[in-house]
Amino acid sequence: MIKLSAISKNYHTDKVQTRALDNINLQVDAGEFVSIMGPSGCGKSTLLNIIGLLDRPASGQIEINGQLLGNYSDSQVAKLRNQTFGFIFQSFHLINELRVIDNVELPLLYRKMPATERRAKAKAALEKVGLTARMEHFPNQLSGGQQQRVAIARAMVGEPQILLADEPTGNLDSQMGAEVMSQLLALNQAGTTIVMVTHNEQEAKHSNRIVRVFDGQLVQ
Amino acid sequence: MLKNYLIIAWRIALQRKLFTLINLLCISLTLLVLLVLTALLENTFQPTGVEGKSPRMLQILTMLSYNDERGNSRHSPLGYKVITDYIKPLPSAELVAAVSLPESTTVYQAERTTDLLMRRADAAYWQILDFEVLSGRVPSAEDVATGRFVLVLNQSTAKQLFGQQPAVGQKLNVGGQQFEVIGVVADVLQLNSFADMWAPVSTYPSSDYQHQMWGNFTALILTRDAANFTAIKQELATAIVDFQFDDPAMWSDVRIWADTKLDIFARMLLQNERQADSGAATLLMIISALMLLFMLLPALNLVNLNTGRMLERSTEIGVRKAFGASRQQLIWQFLVENLLLCTVGGLLGLVLAAAALEVIESSGVIPYLQVNINFTVFALGMLISIIFGLLSGIIPAWRTAKLDPVHALKGARR
Ligand SMILES: Nc1ncnc2c1ncn2[C@@H]1O[C@H](COP(=O)(O)OP(=O)(O)O)[C@@H](O)[C@H]1O
Ligand SMILES: [Mg+2]
Repeated sequence: MIKLSAISKNYHTDKVQTRALDNINLQVDAGEFVSIMGPSGCGKSTLLNIIGLLDRPASGQIEINGQLLGNYSDSQVAKLRNQTFGFIFQSFHLINELRVIDNVELPLLYRKMPATERRAKAKAALEKVGLTARMEHFPNQLSGGQQQRVAIARAMVGEPQILLADEPTGNLDSQMGAEVMSQLLALNQAGTTIVMVTHNEQEAKHSNRIVRVFDGQLVQ
Repeated sequence: MLKNYLIIAWRIALQRKLFTLINLLCISLTLLVLLVLTALLENTFQPTGVEGKSPRMLQILTMLSYNDERGNSRHSPLGYKVITDYIKPLPSAELVAAVSLPESTTVYQAERTTDLLMRRADAAYWQILDFEVLSGRVPSAEDVATGRFVLVLNQSTAKQLFGQQPAVGQKLNVGGQQFEVIGVVADVLQLNSFADMWAPVSTYPSSDYQHQMWGNFTALILTRDAANFTAIKQELATAIVDFQFDDPAMWSDVRIWADTKLDIFARMLLQNERQADSGAATLLMIISALMLLFMLLPALNLVNLNTGRMLERSTEIGVRKAFGASRQQLIWQFLVENLLLCTVGGLLGLVLAAAALEVIESSGVIPYLQVNINFTVFALGMLISIIFGLLSGIIPAWRTAKLDPVHALKGARR
């Protein structure tokens, strides 16, 4: 489903060059639950962002559903992000000016879909994460765990093939973290491919496969 | 989609009250100044009411007499004789009026004296200008021809002199001459019509004025149609080729231009007394350039503000991009937001401008001023706001929309 070949990525800051990713080859198959682990700063987020087309590699190739991403235009990439991927971030990244329901609806705004259908889908997604009662609230009126569940609803509302989660429980206490994990597992059971960055060995055990990164390289 | 843009624009405006306020003030204050200026300019160049015939009227305010060899030069209003000899006979003129500039005159009443501005005019003056007669009448051709001592007052003057009593029929000593008030007209403030009172030209204490080449007169030339302007200008140029000075040894040349109101101002400001072209086109360009410049400063300020604000919203931009917003869609969103803000600012500016004009009018800073926000000014105001919105929105929108989503999510400040 996703195939990365010889992916490298450098960062230049103040004349210091960081090799964030170095010749990464990785394949993720449909239905898998892959955990990415490794010490802080080893390049996990960079890798996840490149998979999700949020960032561009310096070199290497990305294949999605057998399609090689060459010189895709901005609007083609936007469409891929919209239809193929759903993102969950460590710090939630909800839009504070929008109500919970509007936040969840956001990915559907960029599809041609009638407003009533969008609203219905957003409601259904909120129902799955058990937050229908908080629909009209604003994000900062919710607890961290609730915010992350809203973020899951937002990531799922467009029924993407792949869910990318960057330390989704990193900012949550263990009980809230467990709730979020059980929802991710349920989604995976229902057929969604998941790639998750985590520090937590316990959480990683739930996945099919653990990919370990050290200093920008994959280790076995 | 548009509805969603508007909703988020509204929420963000509420969330960032200070920014919104600064933004709105920036636009509405600029617009306020521009609109008040435009209204005043329109009132000057395209008046309605008493000088409503201006579009088919040419005026001669001054003449330039000179002799370059002797180094003589004199720039003055016209003598009455210039008007009778050279201007009244112009074939394409439908009607020519002679009227003096307002002269300071003392009015003597039993218990007090009052200094007022008085014009003396011929009969055509009352035909060319459309004074609103509040009571009585204005002088007739017969009044002027027979030199009757009849007087017209404007409303404020009538009130000042006679209080609540009716002015018409009152006797009044003006500069030692005994007049009878025959009419009261509404107050006006326009180039050829403002004055406190009017009398026939034939009431001058001496008839010397009839023989003077230099005096205190201006001429109004009414034509059937603005298309005749060129003809009149040519006829005038031909007529003054043989200009007869009282003292040909001292004076050799004369320049007299029949101008529209705009021409008069342009000629005055740009000092184009010697050439036929008044420089009106240049004046209009200067005014437009100044207005643009005046708009540019707040617009640049808004560009800065907007860029700062959008970078503050980089998380939102990152999230939207991550979930499928294309660059184009984001640019649209920010443009719509900005246009909305600017339109609201524009409407606010219009309301402020209308209020300011009301205050200026009623405060009497400029006596007898009457200006309105008409459709032209309104349309101009909205156009300016939209230009503002585009100017100050497109650059920041474009800059932020091209951010990589990762950078946006990390809160890129560059
Ligand atoms: N925008 C950036 N500019 C410069 N260096 C960066 C940037 N993002 C990440 N890095 C560097 O790249 C390396 C990998 O970062 P990251 O992928 O965020 O690591 P992880 O998610 O594993 O903690 C780190 O050394 C980090 O300092
Ligand atoms: Mg990370």
